[in-house]
Amino acid sequence: MRNIQIGLLLGLRQIQRANVWTNVLIIFVMTLTFLNLIAVSGLLVGLIAGSERAFREQSLGDILVSAKADEKTILGSEALAREIATYPDVSSFTVRYIESASVEANYSERRDLRGERDVVSTRIRGIDPEVENTTTGLAQRIVEGSYLSPDDEGKILVGSLTLDRYASGFGDAFDTLGDVQIGDKVRVSVGNTSKEFTVKGILQSKVEDVSMGMFIPEKEFRRIFNRFDRNADQISIRLKPGVDENTVKKFMVAGGMSQYAKIETFTEGTPKFLTDIKNTFNLLGTFIGSIGLVVASITIFIIIFINALSRRRHIGILKAVGIDKRVIELAYVTQAAFYAFTGSLLGALITYGFLIPFFDANPINFPFSDGILLVETSSALIRTGILFVITLAAGFVPAWLIARQNTLNAILGR
Amino acid sequence: MIDATNIYRTFKTGTIETHVLKGVDVHVAEGEFVAIMGKSGAGKSTLLYQLSLLDTPNEGSLSLNRVDVLTLSEQEKTLFRLNTLGFIFQDYALVPDLTARENVMMPLLMRGEKWVDASLLADSALDSVGLVGKYNNLPGQLSGGEQQRTSIARAIVGKPKILFADEPTANLDSVSGEQVVALLGELNARGQTIVMVTHEPEYTHQCNRIISMEDGRIVKEKKQRRNKH
Repeated sequence: MRNIQIGLLLGLRQIQRANVWTNVLIIFVMTLTFLNLIAVSGLLVGLIAGSERAFREQSLGDILVSAKADEKTILGSEALAREIATYPDVSSFTVRYIESASVEANYSERRDLRGERDVVSTRIRGIDPEVENTTTGLAQRIVEGSYLSPDDEGKILVGSLTLDRYASGFGDAFDTLGDVQIGDKVRVSVGNTSKEFTVKGILQSKVEDVSMGMFIPEKEFRRIFNRFDRNADQISIRLKPGVDENTVKKFMVAGGMSQYAKIETFTEGTPKFLTDIKNTFNLLGTFIGSIGLVVASITIFIIIFINALSRRRHIGILKAVGIDKRVIELAYVTQAAFYAFTGSLLGALITYGFLIPFFDANPINFPFSDGILLVETSSALIRTGILFVITLAAGFVPAWLIARQNTLNAILGR
Repeated sequence: MIDATNIYRTFKTGTIETHVLKGVDVHVAEGEFVAIMGKSGAGKSTLLYQLSLLDTPNEGSLSLNRVDVLTLSEQEKTLFRLNTLGFIFQDYALVPDLTARENVMMPLLMRGEKWVDASLLADSALDSVGLVGKYNNLPGQLSGGEQQRTSIARAIVGKPKILFADEPTANLDSVSGEQVVALLGELNARGQTIVMVTHEPEYTHQCNRIISMEDGRIVKEKKQRRNKH
């Protein structure tokens, strides 16, 4: 105990009496190391997390109910929807009908019947506009025209990436329609059935389900696609804030809903490739952060080494008057701990107080996602712990090297 | 108090061996104030380092306060120095980051004294060497003489059995040097055993005995009556 007390006193006094700018510089290096370790991987992972968040908010919801593997649609959808509505933890949910169809744009203007048709294959979603908007905020994605009204008939919302003028940046990655404007007519065809719709709005989003699909009111959907059994393809459920999706899913499964449909939490439903990319980015961020960590530990090592070397004589004298060498080592470890703690604290303040809110408000605009800064507390704590331990080691080793030297040699400087 | 017999110390640099101490016998009784004198290179400081456990002789036996100290481990030697010996160095050897009080407190804290008690004892030791009110001064804020007196306060605060002083006046002006020697004389008058290395004969007047060295050997020993000037 007394060793700790004296070691702390010596360490704190060294910090207190050291040059202010030297302290500031070391703390600055530690802060940058912290940011490099936490924020860089957080930004890389945040690119995928931003995409996941958008999928969760705009399409899949917190829990997704879909058809079982051996069924085409959700059996007894209406009964399931009624049951879901009774769950107190459910904030809202939307029932979707989904089919593939071809959509043609220039059929009325095309003079030569043998000319190229302006047509795309896409997925049409039949929705209740109000409920869908409550659950996924679809109306907020409108960039041209307006959103569907509950009593709309013959109106369609078109995803921006099905149109030339929005998808030109993607080259020929997918088929698009030519010059389609609000109020233009498009023809939706499935098999031998066709129906003409007026484009009411254009939706823009980084969620593929929205930007590459089209939306029509569910009543018309059922008529065109002969879905009179009212069995839906998806029920996307939004839970109240703070509610654990796994708990709600357990209740649903226990209530027998899994006999009629597949029930997945958002995490379970996330495509594996997204999780893989996220893990790879995390690894990449850790690698980049590790380089910073090595640089910082070498910096601390050099600083403490020079400090201890320049005080070699004093170390010898302390030993001569009976101060245990472990006390002297502890003094330098205390210094390193101070730098690591202060640097990490500043880094954490910058990360949580500025960077995370900043990137939440101003996401990085990537073609496939709005990148945020994702810092998982457990991961951040582990990385901070590693930073701390490595810094302490970088402080201890030079002190140990100097303190273990012969006392007299240290005093006489030989 | 000190029984050193047939002490040899040889330093090796590559293939060159330098025999600095060549069979030295030193015996110091309790309460003595002994000065070790000699020209530069005579081996006086090397002898002091052997006697004070800062170095280990190649040959010989050494007993301090009836303890065969050459058989102790490094850690035991550190503990022995802490509890039994006091040191005064030529260039004061204070920790520059610590105040005068904290410098003096160090060995006390190391011995397990409580902070408050150590602080009071340190203040009292500083008072006894004439540094009243300078407790919170950093070494850089003290004159050379004051720093050496702080060093003496640190050396005596733990009431050591033997006080070693390595050229304590070498860096001081004559007035400060005289004050330091007078202080050592006072301590000795109160029963403190002191071994001091010096090359300045004018500062040996407080000593009971003067050992003269030449070429690694003791060539003369002279007892004298203390002259308090």
